[in-house]
Amino acid sequence: MPEAPAVRTTELSKAFVSGPTTTWAVEDVSIDLEPGSFTCIVGPSGGGKSTLLRLVGGLEEATTGTVETMPSAFVFQEHGVFPWMTVRDNVAFGLKMAGMPKAERRRIADDWIQRVRLEQFATAYPHQLSGGMRQRVAIARAFATGSPLLLMDEPLGALDAQTRMLMQEELLALWEAERTTVLMVTHDIDEAILLSDRILVMSARPGRVKEDLAVPFERPRRHDIERSPQYAEMRSHIWESLRDDALAAEGADR
Amino acid sequence: MSTTRRDRTEAAVRAQRTKEARLRRRDLALAIASPVLLLVLWEVCARALIIDPRFFPAPTRILQTGIEMAASGELWSHAGPTLARLLVGGGLGAVAGVVVGLLMGSSRALNAALGPLFAALYPLPKIAIFPILLMIFGPTEVPKLLAVFITTFFILQINTVSGVWAIDPKLHEAGRAYGARGFNRFRHVILPGALPFVFSGLRTATGTAVVVITAVEFTGASTTGLGYLIWNSWQLFIPEKLYVGLVVIGVIGAALTFVITRSETLLLPWRRR
Repeated sequence: MPEAPAVRTTELSKAFVSGPTTTWAVEDVSIDLEPGSFTCIVGPSGGGKSTLLRLVGGLEEATTGTVETMPSAFVFQEHGVFPWMTVRDNVAFGLKMAGMPKAERRRIADDWIQRVRLEQFATAYPHQLSGGMRQRVAIARAFATGSPLLLMDEPLGALDAQTRMLMQEELLALWEAERTTVLMVTHDIDEAILLSDRILVMSARPGRVKEDLAVPFERPRRHDIERSPQYAEMRSHIWESLRDDALAAEGADR
Repeated sequence: MSTTRRDRTEAAVRAQRTKEARLRRRDLALAIASPVLLLVLWEVCARALIIDPRFFPAPTRILQTGIEMAASGELWSHAGPTLARLLVGGGLGAVAGVVVGLLMGSSRALNAALGPLFAALYPLPKIAIFPILLMIFGPTEVPKLLAVFITTFFILQINTVSGVWAIDPKLHEAGRAYGARGFNRFRHVILPGALPFVFSGLRTATGTAVVVITAVEFTGASTTGLGYLIWNSWQLFIPEKLYVGLVVIGVIGAALTFVITRSETLLLPWRRR
């Protein structure tokens, strides 16, 4: 591969110390992400998915191992938007922190607000919006930074089923137009197959990458890929792979 | 057919709206009527000597005394110092409380160093410290200002720390992920996030500060202020003046609370529902 990877982790591990117990959330993860690719991490809840993402984004420090990445921007769940800022100020926030002059960041923010179809709500506050609209703000905020790498932590996790499906198609359309490198954590297998080029299946704690799957469907994609037998096969394969770990994680909670 | 049906719907909606408006007018009338009725009752009872007008002078007498005191300037010579002490002492205390609260809320070390100390000092009745302040600074303005300062400082400090802690961790993280560091972090994440608690602290502090300044002015250390006016009128047995002092200090407290509530609506548009 001639191009440098967008993300390279080498034998990355992270331990959390709480009193006498040490928990390895991530253990020995070595991955390369190709620039312009969309990768999803799926795994049992309470595994190290989010921790891995946060390590890549520099929100956590690695216990051992290294991370090399391009500059990144985060998409959190809908409550990650600032309730005290208007939609426009939220979207322009990253640019403002980067020191971009006001007129320029406003132009870029308004452009992204339009692309997520919130132009009528540019001066509204998040509490005046629906959950799906707040999530569009969070997505626009990340894209607006112009970062070559977007890290998404269950960005659609708080939405109801129908809104979620609509948002998946919207995210897909935005991404297919932009081709920014994306690393996304989700607990939804269907979402992972629909959106990504590659799926990393993580195990329960300690979180390791137990499978690395390429998603073969053509782009542009729509929800109708669900009807193909290949889809069903992939879905059940991932589920089988997750099942035991999910059971173990459930048991460990009790 | 369809028009009549729509007409009926519209009529029903209109009726519902009229009913709602009527109820709202009634609530307002009731809210005004009850205190007015009480005042009228007081007036009548005082004039008919059902209650002793030496202790409970009729409201019109109190009003008259108030107007005379305002005209002679006596009222302002007391209301002025009280208001100034509240604004200067309380205002500085509030600013200091917010600044210290923000720093303590965002620095684990600072909170470890000061948290337990402040928590131990907070329940001390501020008025009990007043003699010490008098001892140190003498019978000047300083101990009075300080008494109010300490009062609002502690309330704002505690509220601000709670406000910072109440900010959703996701928002701290979003701030960090988008590069808000140092001053920017305070300006765009911590301060706005803590402001709702700051305002509720300001409201609590106003009430307490009015109590403290009145008590401070009761003591012999003061010959000005509404507290002094009330206490002195009691000692000279001029109940009309005592009541005037009481009403004016009440008005000051209500006005300050009103200003704070208005600023909250203006400064926190995102809290308006």
